[in-house]
Amino acid sequence: MLLSSHRLQSTLLAIALIGAWQGSCEYFDITPLVLPPPGAIAVKLYTLVASGEIWPHLWATIVEVLSGFVLGVLAGLAIGAMISLIPVVERLVYPYLVALQTLPKVAIAPLFIIWFGYGLTSKIVITALVCFFPILVSVVAGFHSTDRDQLDMMKAFGATTWQTLLRLRIPSALVLIFAGLEIAAVLAVIGAIVGEFVGAQVGLGYLIIALNFNLDIAGVFAVLIVLSAIGLVMHGAVRVAARRYIFWIQRNEAPVLV
Amino acid sequence: MTALSNITLDIRKSEFISVVGPSGCGKTTLLRILAGLEQASAGEVYSGGERITGPRADAGVVFQQAVLLPWNTVLANVLLPAQLKKDNSAATIARAERLLKFMGLQDFAQKYPFELSGGMQQRASICRALMRDPKILLMDEPFGALDAMTRESMNIELMRVWSEERMTVFFITHSIPEAVLLGDRVVVMSPRPGRISDIVDINIDRPRSLKTMGTPRFGELCDHIRGLFGVEASTVSSL
Repeated sequence: MLLSSHRLQSTLLAIALIGAWQGSCEYFDITPLVLPPPGAIAVKLYTLVASGEIWPHLWATIVEVLSGFVLGVLAGLAIGAMISLIPVVERLVYPYLVALQTLPKVAIAPLFIIWFGYGLTSKIVITALVCFFPILVSVVAGFHSTDRDQLDMMKAFGATTWQTLLRLRIPSALVLIFAGLEIAAVLAVIGAIVGEFVGAQVGLGYLIIALNFNLDIAGVFAVLIVLSAIGLVMHGAVRVAARRYIFWIQRNEAPVLV
Repeated sequence: MTALSNITLDIRKSEFISVVGPSGCGKTTLLRILAGLEQASAGEVYSGGERITGPRADAGVVFQQAVLLPWNTVLANVLLPAQLKKDNSAATIARAERLLKFMGLQDFAQKYPFELSGGMQQRASICRALMRDPKILLMDEPFGALDAMTRESMNIELMRVWSEERMTVFFITHSIPEAVLLGDRVVVMSPRPGRISDIVDINIDRPRSLKTMGTPRFGELCDHIRGLFGVEASTVSSL
């Protein structure tokens, strides 16, 4: 009951804010070139969808986001596991990876366009790189987070190194890995859009640039709504997976839109 | 730093040894050496003529916390020692279920640890330790984190388990009454460096119950042990 009343309140708040936005656009006669009213954005969003104009762009961005996310996560898991479990690799490789992480990925996006072309590949690589680091860090932190008492317990009951890894260290690491996945899921959309901004022929980022160039600001807002929907779905999917795979972590769930 | 110095202790088969001592007296270190989790820098530990050099198959360890794996059900946690030996036989599962029943956890076999109270978690961890049919049960302040009422009922349960299974028990505690209630002998340790300052025979007949704690003999023994720590004999009550 409490939850549904919270949800009702936040829906009412959203309606009030959108109403105020619409009202002030009309009352103060704000030019749609600066701030289009929500009604115009809704109409534009409908036109983009109904005319089919948005679909190739949406599809390209989804492919980039998902492929980049999967590749970045797999690379992060593999390299993170190697760093955590093989001390030599940690000593040799980790400092360089940290140095690479401090580099703003946006700044190297133009290089990737040169190396991998204007197609989807360069965006997938950028997205993968952006997703890679939070996963890497969470895997390393996750493997270091194994409880000492539990390690003792496994040892006392005669577990081998391999059994301790499978039965204790990997499940323990999952908690932090899912935290990393949540961050990576949101960053994946940013990675793809940054890549498309730098140079692309298709994609929602490209569409934003094109609409902006034509001073179609309502169109820009419409695409932003689609982008945040992609982000919410990605984030929600990770949360659902977390609830299933790390069910023993009891989180205080605040009511969210998804 | 020397954690333990000059420890000589003979433990008889099926004996219940309680160990008391202030923090830092090395009682946990002693238990870890007995469990084979640590090596003594000097000296040797033998069990039935065999030297202990590493984790041993004939000991069951119960830690201060229940240390159950949160992603496993209670039954899977109890089965863990067997599964580490790749033993999934029906007889093993039946034994785990029998132990859970014995500890009053039969209705919780398919629950997860976070669904259990602290006392129930510790009972599950005792089941796990008993799974290997240990010759010796090593317990490191197992009831220290429990509230007083639960703790008393756990003491009774432990005496019941011991009277059935008749394994040797090495039981560390902070509580002098708990040590006296449970033990055949109480090993009194003192710190810096950790050493055995005395071993007190508890010649109180079994079976004992919580009523035992009200008897004069019980109070005298508790006072005697307190005296060994240099604490004034209590004039209020033995509790």
